Amino acid sequence: MSDSSTIWTEKYRPSKFEEVFGQDEIIKRVKNLTNSLNLPHLLFAGPAGTGKSTLAIIVAKELFKEYWRENYLELNASDARGIDVIRQEVKNFARTKSLGSVPFKIIFLDEADALTKEAQQALRRTMENFTSTCRFILSCNFSSKIIDPIQSRCVVFRFKLLEKKDIEKVMKKIAEKEGITLDEKAYETIYEGSEGDCRRAINLIQASASISPIITEEIINILLSSAKPKDVKVVLDYALSGDFVKSKEKLLDIMLKESVSGTDIIKSIQKEIWNLDVDPELKVKLTEKTGEVEFRLVEGSDEFVQLESLLASFVLAGLGKKL
Amino acid sequence: MPDKPLPLFEKYRPKKISDIRGQDIAVDKLKAFITAFSRGISKKKAMILHGPAGTGKTTLAHAFANEMSYELFELNASDLRNRAKLDEILKPSTLQQSLFAKGKIILVDEVDGVTSTEYGGLAELIALIEKTKFPVIITCNDIWQSKFSLLRSKCELVQVKELNYLVVVQLIKEIALLEKRPLSERVISEIAAKSRGDLRAALNDLHSIIYFDEEILEEEIQLREKTQDIFNALKEIFKLRANQDTLEVYENVNLELDQIMLWLEENIPAEYRGEELAKAYDALSKADVFRGRIIRQQYWHFLVYQNFFMTAGISAAKGIKNLPQRFIKYNPPRRILKIWMINQKEAKKKSIASKYAEFTHTSKKRAMKEFFLASLIMNDVLIKELELDEQEIEYLNERKLQAIEQIKAMQNTTK
Repeated sequence: MSDSSTIWTEKYRPSKFEEVFGQDEIIKRVKNLTNSLNLPHLLFAGPAGTGKSTLAIIVAKELFKEYWRENYLELNASDARGIDVIRQEVKNFARTKSLGSVPFKIIFLDEADALTKEAQQALRRTMENFTSTCRFILSCNFSSKIIDPIQSRCVVFRFKLLEKKDIEKVMKKIAEKEGITLDEKAYETIYEGSEGDCRRAINLIQASASISPIITEEIINILLSSAKPKDVKVVLDYALSGDFVKSKEKLLDIMLKESVSGTDIIKSIQKEIWNLDVDPELKVKLTEKTGEVEFRLVEGSDEFVQLESLLASFVLAGLGKKL
Repeated sequence: MPDKPLPLFEKYRPKKISDIRGQDIAVDKLKAFITAFSRGISKKKAMILHGPAGTGKTTLAHAFANEMSYELFELNASDLRNRAKLDEILKPSTLQQSLFAKGKIILVDEVDGVTSTEYGGLAELIALIEKTKFPVIITCNDIWQSKFSLLRSKCELVQVKELNYLVVVQLIKEIALLEKRPLSERVISEIAAKSRGDLRAALNDLHSIIYFDEEILEEEIQLREKTQDIFNALKEIFKLRANQDTLEVYENVNLELDQIMLWLEENIPAEYRGEELAKAYDALSKADVFRGRIIRQQYWHFLVYQNFFMTAGISAAKGIKNLPQRFIKYNPPRRILKIWMINQKEAKKKSIASKYAEFTHTSKKRAMKEFFLASLIMNDVLIKELELDEQEIEYLNERKLQAIEQIKAMQNTTK
């Protein structure tokens, strides 16, 4: 995007290989591949905010220079409705020849691991059909979720979480350019809160800068705790105290307002059980029940009904009864 | 009777005990209690009339006081907090007894809402019962809530049951005639059935249709039959022991099985508690698993199992010994409406998130998750860059304000 952008993640998104902090080894190899002008399909695997999209854009910019926007298509597999939509967009984009001297275009498919196995099979065929005109860069969080036939057609790069020194370098650069000050402890808190996700770190300082140009540990902590999705603890507390109706209402609220899926909810419940104030024996039973409900949730049709049946078990546990 | 703008149930509220229909046992018990109290031989100083709405609990107290020339003092929850008023009422009758009244009756109407913790709650009520020199009558819908356990032990309990269907039919008929609006048997029986023993509801219905044409009325009633059936079906599931007929309960219900599932989901917690609740939801959960399998495999024979868990499964969740007799008002499913309402509200969030996502090379999902930070980041320049429309801007500003307030509040507490 343009340099004048006011979203810092965009404003300070590196546009050259040299500007990227961290991932040194990957940068070196991708740069070589790009310069050879004979780019294979690439698969970028790694956690969010480690530079996968950035690197894809840099590749496009290096290859196509001022024509990069015309020759670069970005799709997000978790947003596009099904593989058919993706195939159609790819077809439309790949039909025309690339502008400039490079004989192919680049399609960046973000979050490719959101596609089902069947959809990935279809994607593999699409990749083959358009190899003459297009190169694919796929990104995913876990390469294990990408089917082997695709992996074998790509050069795989594994991105690591950014280290503290890299995140700090980015922060310092932005602070200097934007005229804001961060104290030493704030750096520390941002790094911890970001969990190595650079995008999150930048969003954190921009959000706090919107409140005050002096960024302290305190404000970062406040932002971190406010930005956290409402957790399921309160839902479980209501259930354990016997207030089933409140508990289910709260659950529905969280699922709808935070747009959390049933499977995500059940995962957080499973993690939360161990912190609950109940007998260890009961925790084992509750975890077993949670597993059973997760299974039924996959088999069944109505996530909410399944979760309600789990909450009813928590009500029982709250009464000290056997499950 | 002159036409006063009164609701029918007020207009025809019985003034004498002999006018009260269908509650003979409750009337006798109340009589016996007051008589025993006045002779100083009653064991308890208060009586609780409990039962579903519209069965005549308050009417009973009023009619009784009226006919026996007692003065009736009504107290509500806020009066219980008012020391001066309480003392005034509790003064011995010799000091302020009215000339004609024989004595006093204290009526505490509808204690359901009184809480056990706050001042002016149950503790004050119990203190009142201990101090009083006059009989206390308490009315309540659901006396079996645990918060009332102490109160129950201090009082005599009298159940005021749902009115018998035939009694309701007869009363509607008589009142309709008095209102010069004779109705067909079908309409009358329809109103009576719908009321399920709640005379106030029946008379309200009657009131609302007195001004209708008979024709519109018939249509109206046909529309209502749909929900009629589901009410009866739910009643059979929840109140009766599972038997061979249980499996066919939904056959006459004019709703899809999917919708019936939502009705069950909504009303299980009203009917079941604790272990029964868990068992009932487990059955519903199993029904849903079979539904999922039908959808995925198109193997329709699974419907047998889905139906089984939705009928017998939920019915058998209750203990065999104590079939629930409490009257429960079933609610139509609210989840779908709630989803729709929240989605309406969140639609703006989604459209903003989708523009933001495209701009920042990320997914909509992630933008939704990061919305809190994003709302702070989005300034006026960015709003233009993202081409947000007016409604989106309004929504965003609202969220932004909320976020800032939340942060300020947290800053204050840490200081």
